[in-house]
Amino acid sequence: MDEFQSSEETAFVVDDITTIIKDTVETTIGSSAYQQNRINQWTSSVVETSLNQLSKLGKPFKYIVTCIILQKNGAGLHTASSCFWDNTMDGSCTVRWENKTTYCIVSVFGLAV
Amino acid sequence: MEEYNSGEEVSFNADEASVSVKECIEGIIGGIDYNQNKVNQWTASIVEHSLTQLVKQGRPFKFIVNCAIMQKSGAGLHTANSCYWDTATDGSCTVRWENRTMYCVVSVFAVAVTC
Repeated sequence: MDEFQSSEETAFVVDDITTIIKDTVETTIGSSAYQQNRINQWTSSVVETSLNQLSKLGKPFKYIVTCIILQKNGAGLHTASSCFWDNTMDGSCTVRWENKTTYCIVSVFGLAV
Repeated sequence: MEEYNSGEEVSFNADEASVSVKECIEGIIGGIDYNQNKVNQWTASIVEHSLTQLVKQGRPFKFIVNCAIMQKSGAGLHTANSCYWDTATDGSCTVRWENRTMYCVVSVFAVAVTC
């Protein structure tokens, strides 16, 4: 009984994390247009705020959050990730978000301690 | 005695990883122009090869390799990473590469395995 409960608390829950990230990006960028001089702040803000929220979850995980912000002008962008970890306990999730002028892609990787 | 690293802290060597990843990128897209049909294969190859090289080093780490390839067309691109881990043993390195028609950014994250 104890074991079952503790494995729930220590699982990487993709849905919760997706919600946290979506909210963070909405709050940081929202409907603002792409601006070269603010972009640095946005990327930093998104990753730091996301990481803060994730560590507040109090789960025994190490986290890596990456954020890509891209101006919409027709350029092609492709990303790929490959992970060498423990399939039973570690996990990742990627959130793709956009507004009229900007794409934002945030990936979260959680590794069990 | 039975423990892998009894007392000796193994930390991530970013320079070595950087060199390894650069070679992978050169080998796969060095001198080639951006091609929408092939870019999926390229990103997949780059992450897989890089990961294989890193794992070959035989160190007690979990790895995450991320690769982004972008066509050079004047668009602005920014990336940021933030990590919540053990700064003594874990580490990352990012390699930025470009040729005439595209940019390639590869990030490697290494997290020590504690067992």
